[in-house]
Amino acid sequence: MRRILIIAIPVITLVLFVLIMHSGNFLKRPMGKDDDIPGTIDGIIEAVRNDSWDEADSRLKGLENAWKKVLFRVQFGSERDEINQLTKNIARLKGAVTAKDKSGALMELNEAYMHWDELGN
Amino acid sequence: MNEGLVVVVRAIISFFTLLIFAKILGKEQISQLTFFDYILGITIGSIASEATVDLSSRAWPHFVGLLSWAVLAYLMQYISLKWRYAAKIIEGEPVIVIMNGKIMDNVLRQMKFRASDILELLRNQGIFDMNEVDYAILEPNGSLSVLKKPEYLPLIRKDMNIKAKPTGISTELIYDGKLIEQNLRQMNKDKKWLINQLKKFGIRDVSEAFLVTLNDAGSLYVDKYNDEIKKVKDIGDYKGPY
Repeated sequence: MRRILIIAIPVITLVLFVLIMHSGNFLKRPMGKDDDIPGTIDGIIEAVRNDSWDEADSRLKGLENAWKKVLFRVQFGSERDEINQLTKNIARLKGAVTAKDKSGALMELNEAYMHWDELGN
Repeated sequence: MNEGLVVVVRAIISFFTLLIFAKILGKEQISQLTFFDYILGITIGSIASEATVDLSSRAWPHFVGLLSWAVLAYLMQYISLKWRYAAKIIEGEPVIVIMNGKIMDNVLRQMKFRASDILELLRNQGIFDMNEVDYAILEPNGSLSVLKKPEYLPLIRKDMNIKAKPTGISTELIYDGKLIEQNLRQMNKDKKWLINQLKKFGIRDVSEAFLVTLNDAGSLYVDKYNDEIKKVKDIGDYKGPY
């Protein structure tokens, strides 16, 4: 029994560490109603295309809240640069939506989607 | 991103991963490491530190780096154990640099050692006169093993035909106030005997003793928590702040 424990404990520990390091890709997926980042980004893209800036602004607030929730989960398995880039995208998007800049907003949204995709990979 | 928290989590991961790999590799004492073992240790430590604080990349590639180095080190160990020829190439072998009191200068040249290096290593062993040396062997870890000439070897009991009673090794019976029953049984003693012995030292209970050891010759060492030493001698040579 003791011998089994001596082997099992380090193996289980290493497996746990590997899971933590790969957790980013899994934990970034939506788990509730208000942490669906790709869905929210798609919604904002639709709103921007239709020039519905109020709706875009409302969804953007949702995106910020969703990102706060997801960030806490993915930070252990993701690169800092990807996280920072996505945060910057959201900040610049706020400006674009305020300025009603369609091209700027769409650029930021597509880039944000790319960074979200890279998160945890 | 809470960078502090992420660093703490990555530090825990690196620390325990390194601990597990080091246990598996089962390294010898520091003094027995070869130059390559030393480099290996530094490299693996460097990877572990990068894994902890380099937040610009994920922990996973660093973990893979650690794992790769550990696996390769283990492989080298295994090959060295099973294949003598490979062991000679990988770890090197001891070479005689002084034989019958004479320096093997061609060997020194091959090992890229100077005479001054050998003299330094001899002085580190307290040998200041080359005439005392019979053999000197340069080990793979860079240390020098010396055999002095018989007339310079220390006198031992056997030379005087004095019989010595074997003492065996000391076994701890009490450690930090706690009785180690397994060791007591091993020495064929019981708690009653131990308490009787401790009474001679003014100890009534096991918890009053800091360390108690017994060897095969029956020599009992007792150290109490209360040493009754009023003032510990200060051996410092400078007054200092405290």
